[in-house]
Order: sequence, then structure tokens, then C-alpha cells
Amino acid sequence: MTDILHPRPNPIIAAMYTLRDLDADIILMHGPAGCGFMAARRLEEAGVRVMTTGMQESDLIFGAEEKLVRILKGIDDRFRPGLIGVVGTCASMIIGENLDGAVKKAGVKATVLPIDVHGCSGANTTGAIRVLEVAAERGVISHDERDRQKMLLDRATLIERDRGLTSVTYLEPHPGTTKLSAAQLIVRTLREGGKVAVTLNAKKETAYGFADIMRAVEHARSKVGGEACYIGNLDPNIGLPRIRRYASDILRDLNVANVTVGTITGGLDEYPVSGDKAAEALDSCHADLRIVAGLPHTVPRLTSDDVLVTDQPRQLRNYIDKGFGRAIGEISTHADVMAAHAVLRSELGETIRQVADGGWA
Amino acid sequence: MRQLAIYGKGGIGKSTISANLAASFGEAGLRTWYIGCDPKSDGSMTLVQGRKIPTFLEQMKRGDERTVLEGFAGVKCVETGGPLAGVGCAGRGIIVAVQELAKHHFREEDDVLIYDVPGDVVCGGFAAPVRERYANEVYIVTSGEYLALYAANNIARGMANLNVTIGGIICNSRNVANEVESVREFAERISSKLIGTIPRSRVVQECENQGRTVIECAPTDSQADAYRRLGRAILDNRDLVVPSPMGPEDIREMLREMQ
Repeated sequence: MTDILHPRPNPIIAAMYTLRDLDADIILMHGPAGCGFMAARRLEEAGVRVMTTGMQESDLIFGAEEKLVRILKGIDDRFRPGLIGVVGTCASMIIGENLDGAVKKAGVKATVLPIDVHGCSGANTTGAIRVLEVAAERGVISHDERDRQKMLLDRATLIERDRGLTSVTYLEPHPGTTKLSAAQLIVRTLREGGKVAVTLNAKKETAYGFADIMRAVEHARSKVGGEACYIGNLDPNIGLPRIRRYASDILRDLNVANVTVGTITGGLDEYPVSGDKAAEALDSCHADLRIVAGLPHTVPRLTSDDVLVTDQPRQLRNYIDKGFGRAIGEISTHADVMAAHAVLRSELGETIRQVADGGWA
Repeated sequence: MRQLAIYGKGGIGKSTISANLAASFGEAGLRTWYIGCDPKSDGSMTLVQGRKIPTFLEQMKRGDERTVLEGFAGVKCVETGGPLAGVGCAGRGIIVAVQELAKHHFREEDDVLIYDVPGDVVCGGFAAPVRERYANEVYIVTSGEYLALYAANNIARGMANLNVTIGGIICNSRNVANEVESVREFAERISSKLIGTIPRSRVVQECENQGRTVIECAPTDSQADAYRRLGRAILDNRDLVVPSPMGPEDIREMLREMQ
């Protein structure tokens, strides 16, 4: 088995994000303060309250069930939440804390999902799957929805292992090639009467950042000519309510920008499978230049001439190492997507607009 | 300061031997500590007239001043304590308690510390007294029975992995055939030696029923002398070796040869 050395999300973090997808009001981390801290800050931007039982040394020794019961009762009284996720951590799970037992003892009004995961439970998707299983058991989602998402997560794990972040031992972060080079290539292709295809195959909320590339390309096309075709996993009728809302928001804003997404490849949580349809649609487009945004490695049959846009510096290194030199990073946009309700202005999008508008010249 | 740790299979008699050793050192005028590391916190009872003493970890949890009880012959008695069965992490408790003891309680002028460590070395916490070098001289208690020797060998393997030296094997007799010879042979095969033998005697139980060690309760009995002899052998012992454990099947074969 290959050792993967670079830091990456673990099942605890995946569980937290999946609870966000379920519109949990509160995520209570049962563990030491600081566990999942960075993820917690992002999730709070998305409107989820993240809390911790703040386990101490004596909790580690004697167990912290009483504390968990007390805190659960306290937050139920104070915040009146509808749905709480209690997420395990390495500390609480290694000492064998009984989350389910504590939830039963607390007997709160809210629906509570006890998620016994820890950092060493396996691939990060293990945490997401655990949440789905518990949510289905407690009637928060249907068994069909659980099975659909499990299939997607298993596929995502395989893709990452095959050609993503867990396909190599170590990936050093890379900033990507310059946005100016990409923008000039895109605008030149359009100006020369060429056809540019923009494919979005993005994961959930990240689409709020990447969809702007479609708007910018359409803006450039309106200024300099050429043709464009747009493909995206933006089906507003697939997935959990929150995920559907993302797709509706994005389609609304694209419509305002005169972007017609000719091929809808699936829902925003279907990126592990919608890549196949995206590849077919791309082939049908017969474009002179292809842009693939979101998680480009989930789209098969990419070529080294394609412009790949993603938001993770290590994924950019992965693409460049695999021979895709036109890899562009939307790093700063990524920080803003959690709180988004509308398509964001992206760095590449702004650069395309500026080049199409003649820049400073 | 001599820092001893007593290990061995659960129920083999570690606490009885540890408490009687502590009592024998105390009556010889040595400044002695008994540190019970079992969450049940019952090992020190015979040193303090059958009482249960407040545990270190409970006191730490409550934020109370840590108390050290002086038992028979001035032996300072501590129980680390720990969680109730089935919750928490006893191993972590041992780590925290021995760190606190070493930092704030033991003094240079103390003569002997005896750590009475529960059962097999089941997790890192149970190895903490020796891994962190709070104890540097391990004695393993066993009888001549296969399972006791198997556990003793397993402990020896743990010590070898941690590169910790052992001072010898203590035979706590169960009156099985060729017992002392078997235990001596085992000790030599793991590169150690038999440091002493404690005969089986009903005096031990009689004294325990009165909440006292044999040294205190039956000081003139030959059993008390057995503990004193063992104590002197340990104090005179300078042979510390990292053990070389046997294969589990080799123990059976050895016992068959000894029959």
C-alpha cells in the first residue's frame, strides 16, 4: 500500500460537510477544542453552528459521557435546533465513547445524529457515508437517497485513488499557470472565430466560483465574436434540498448573463459520475478550445491542450505533473463559496473580461 | 533511588508481592513508595489496614490537593485510580498519574519506588512507568503454569520492544510439578534469572482477610521471611538485562521437557 504523505481531509471533516448538506443546525464535535477547527470556520460561514465538548485530560481518562449529555441538553434548550449532528473525533472514539447512548440519555427534542467516526476510519468519504447511514436510519433522508449518495462517494474515492489527490505519494502545492495566459488564449480563439467549450464538473458549493467562467466567456464572445458551448452538472432537481438550491441559484445567474447551458450532465453532487456525460458532450461540441472547471480529473479523455481550472493547489500540482500544463488555480475564490447564494466573480473570469475589453491598452 | 515495576498475568499475585515487598523495605528503614496502577485501586489496601485510599486521578479530576497516605512502616501509598470498567482510558490515566508523581511527589532521598502495574501490557499507558523511565527495573511475577509463563513471556516481549531492562523473574508458587525449575529455566531462556520464590501459604489469605500484609500481620511466619528474602535479593541485584522472549510454542515444549 502506498503511503500518502500530504495533508488532506479525513472522515471527521467529510462527516461535518455532509451534515451541512443535510441542513443540520448544529454540529457538536465530541472531542478536544480545535479538532476540525478550520473546517468549522468554513461551515459557520455556511450558516451551521459548530460546537465542541472541549474534552480535557480527565475526560480522556474517565470518559466524557456526562459532559456530552449535559452539553446536548444545554444547546437544545438554548438554540432550539431541528437537527444536530454529534461527530466523534480521534480522542473520543479511541477511548470508546458511546455517542448513541449519550444521545438517548440526553433525550432532547431535536433530531440528533450520532456519528461515530474518527480520523483513522479510512478514506474521508467513510465519514460522509456514516452520516448518510445514520440519517437514513433516523428518517432524515430516504434509503434510496442514501444508496445514491453512497454510490457517488465510492466512485469519488476510486477516482481520487486513480488520478486525484491520493494517486501519488506526495503533492507539493502549486499556484497553477497564469490566468492572463489562459484568458488571452480564450479571447484569441473566440476573436479568430473559433469555438470555446466550457464544462463545469464541480463539487457542490464550489460551483458558485467556477460558474463565473461561463459568464466571462459569454461576455468575451459578445465582445469579440466566436462560438461557445456550455456544459454543466447543474440539474436543479437532483440531490438534497441544499444542493438543488445551489444549482438553481447558479442557473438563475447564468440566465441573467445570457449563458445557456446546452447540456446538463447531472446534479451538483454527481460530479463523480457526471464527468462521463461531460466528456461525451465535450466531444459533440467539436470545440477549438476546451475549458474544464471544478474537478477536471473526474472528466475522462482530457488532452494536454485543455484548460483545466480547479481550486486546490495540490490538485494543480497533480495536473501539471500528469502533463496538463494549462492548469489554472481559483484559490482565493474557494474561500468565499461557503457563504454564497449567487455566482461569485472568479479570478479567471475577471481576467477574461479584462482581456476581452481590451485590458489597459 | 531504586525504581521497580512489578508486572505479571492478572491474578498471579503482583499486588500481594508488591505490598509485602514495600512492607519489608519499610520495616528495614527504607523510605519506600507503593504506587498501585490498577483502576480498581485495591493493591495498597493491605498497607493501610484494609481501607481504600482516595485515588490520584479522582483528586486531580476534582481539583483537590493530592494526598499521599502513609501506611505500615511509613510506606507512602498511592493509587493512580482510573475510570470505571467500560469507559474512558485507564492507560492514559496511568501516564498522567505517574507523570504527576514523578514531577511533584518523589524526592531524591526516597530509597525505593514500587510500581504495581495491572495485568499484561495491553496498551501504551500500561507501559508508561517503564517507557518513560519512571521505573528502570522490571520484575515479572509468574507461576509454573503455561498461561502465567505465556503472559510473562509476552511482557518480556513488550519490554524488549521498549528496550527496557528486567531484573528477574519472581516465582509465585501455585504448587505445580517442577515449578521452581520450570520458572528458572524460563527465566534463563529469556536471558534473565529467577530472583526469588514465594511459596504458597494460607497465611497470605489470612492476613489479607485482616487487611494487612504478611510482614505486618504474621512477622515471624516463614512466609514473611520469604518476602524479606525476595526484597533483599532485589536490593542486592545489579543484573539488569533487556530480555529476549521465547516463541509461544517454545514455552510449551520447555514445559513438556520439564515434566
